[in-house]
Amino acid sequence: MNTEPNPYETEWIARQNSLPGEAIPWMRRLRQEAMERYRASGFPTTRLEDWKYTSLKPILQKGFHFPEPSCIGLDPSDLDALLIDRRDMPRLVFVNGTLSRPLSNWQQLPQGVEIASLATRLAEYPEQVEPCLRARPTTPDHGFAELNRALWRDGAFVCFRQETRMPIPVQLLFLSLPSSVPVITQPHTVILVEAGAEGQIIESYATLGDCDHFTNGLTTIFLQHGARLNHLLVQNESHAAYHLATMRVQQESASRFVSQAFSFGGRLTRQDIHLQLGGEEAECDLDGLFVATGRQHTDFHTWIRHDASHTTSRQHYKGILDGHGRGVFNGAVLVPQSVRETQSAQVNNNLLLTNTAEIDTKPQLEIFSNAVQCTHGATVGNLDPVALFYLRSRGVDQEEARRLLIKAFAGEILDRIQPQSVRAWLENRLAF
Amino acid sequence: MNTMLEIKELCVDFNDKNILRGVNLTIQAGEVHAIMGPNGSGKSTLVNLLAGRAGYQVTAGQVLFQGEDLLPMQPEERAKAGIFLGFQYPVEIPGISNALFMKTALNAQRRHQHLAEMEAMDFRSHTRKMAKSLGLEDGLLLRPVNVGFSGGEKKRNELFQMMILQPCLAILDEIDSGLDIDALVTVASGINALRTPQRSILMVTHYQRLLNDVVPDRVHVMMDGRIVLTGSKDLAMELEEKGYGWLAGAGQ
Ligand SMILES: Nc1ncnc2c1ncn2[C@@H]1O[C@H](COP(=O)(O)OP(=O)(O)OP(=O)(O)O)[C@@H](O)[C@H]1O
Ligand SMILES: [Mg+2]
Repeated sequence: MNTEPNPYETEWIARQNSLPGEAIPWMRRLRQEAMERYRASGFPTTRLEDWKYTSLKPILQKGFHFPEPSCIGLDPSDLDALLIDRRDMPRLVFVNGTLSRPLSNWQQLPQGVEIASLATRLAEYPEQVEPCLRARPTTPDHGFAELNRALWRDGAFVCFRQETRMPIPVQLLFLSLPSSVPVITQPHTVILVEAGAEGQIIESYATLGDCDHFTNGLTTIFLQHGARLNHLLVQNESHAAYHLATMRVQQESASRFVSQAFSFGGRLTRQDIHLQLGGEEAECDLDGLFVATGRQHTDFHTWIRHDASHTTSRQHYKGILDGHGRGVFNGAVLVPQSVRETQSAQVNNNLLLTNTAEIDTKPQLEIFSNAVQCTHGATVGNLDPVALFYLRSRGVDQEEARRLLIKAFAGEILDRIQPQSVRAWLENRLAF
Repeated sequence: MNTMLEIKELCVDFNDKNILRGVNLTIQAGEVHAIMGPNGSGKSTLVNLLAGRAGYQVTAGQVLFQGEDLLPMQPEERAKAGIFLGFQYPVEIPGISNALFMKTALNAQRRHQHLAEMEAMDFRSHTRKMAKSLGLEDGLLLRPVNVGFSGGEKKRNELFQMMILQPCLAILDEIDSGLDIDALVTVASGINALRTPQRSILMVTHYQRLLNDVVPDRVHVMMDGRIVLTGSKDLAMELEEKGYGWLAGAGQ
């Protein structure tokens, strides 16, 4: 029996009556229930199969504090590199977990697009966010995601109303700043794309400076019938940061979800993407790139459930591991017996740049139906020495030749990003 | 006359196997030499070594390029010093466009020569004529290096790179294999266009046909890791008729 109190138990006791929605009975109950589930499971340990390669001990040993809400003076120019410089792009900027109004911009939104802080939305229109917050995931959350559900203080709320088409992306930036003690932030974001609507989101996590901090994020995404969403996730926190993130996507019939996920930052990071194809003709297209250099550890887990017939999932993830970097990729695809005519393809390619870098990659197919087409493939390789020689034989320096080849490897993922201004912005933030 | 390349008693092992067993070869500036010889005799080993490919052990001998010791130099240093190898098997590089590849290479060379780097637009106009003269379609420049190129397109692409880089010593390993008859003529005139009194060319070939169009000053026969016979352009004709059998044991 575990006799030690769970981390953050004292925070719960101290803060439960001051969290957003504390006056709303159903919200109080949701938080209470999440806290109980968190107490029951705690933080995962390496004894669990899904956590074999990723130990969260450093996070628990460190002890992170809840940031005090404050009006931190930030120069907008600090954000230049972190935001796509387009005045017409609506954005929400959160600083140490708190919405910064001066840095945000939600003027001139087209009719049918709603963007707000989740805490504000909950206070003003509880009935709008209630179904989203209440939605129970089809599979259990990790303990830390429950901790987020219990203790979140803010995050973004984005809604694309029925049949709305939003031609430009909405940017969500979660920024951590140095503070006197290392802080934990737990952004909780809800994205709702109603029937027939179409939207684009850029969700990014960054740090100003080299400080260590802990982000425990949860993003839930709902796509109703025929909805479409392009979602770009960029995690580029400092190399001292700890980053745990859960993304939950529920797709109804004929919806289409496109996700591109980039994980470059963090000392220790884990990204889980849980996606449920819950209605016929729903499809998802997921790709991404994770990079671990120095002593970074990055773990990427995807879980796709084909809960309806005639659904399609495609995944293509790439990893670049340098220095003593360590990567983990696990792609789970589940098709229950009753489901017919589904297609699923999964590819994971990894590039090891040193012999001290490591990757553990594993497809995890749980296919109980016969009427499905599933493919998967994983590769691990080094830079092609013959290609390297070819480049050098034309006068390109060894370093530049390596960089070109690494870029070419990443290019397959980066080149799919639209529009060009977003791709250029992301390429600039990549170190190679 | 200046000596471009001087190879003396060169012995090279690959995976503990003797491949080159005492190669001697001297090329003067402005000369065109051809090396012929049976499969597996060591021709590609020799030219790859000249370009700096790793993995070979030089057990004896010496290579001087314009009087300097070549062997300690890195491949990129050799390229910048003016050596170019057209590969027997050009390498496919997914994800890097041909144009980016060559612009990067040209700018590396220009930096070395203290010239201003070339922008993408200037590069395109600079190279458009060259590509055209080789019958390379514009689209091939934007495609990933050699990926999905036909055999002949790959060879013409090698020559295209050579035209851009304007080397002083051009080494072409079987630039003529896989080319159709018209392409052979195009490639030959491309090579001839580069013939100057300052530039030397070393061609490895199996066919006398190329040597009709690019007339060499010397023809060498390599067998079993040695140059066993050297002659004029007529030697190529003789080899075409008689094959290599009659040379067995020569040069021992
Ligand atoms: N990468 C390699 N691995 C193993 N053996 C090799 C390799 N490269 C060359 N060799 C061996 O070295 C010898 C010489 O090969 P090389 O390619 O130099 O011949 P070549 O004269 O160019 O032949 P060809 O006319 O067929 O191109 C051959 O026996 C070949 O098998
Ligand atoms: Mg050869």
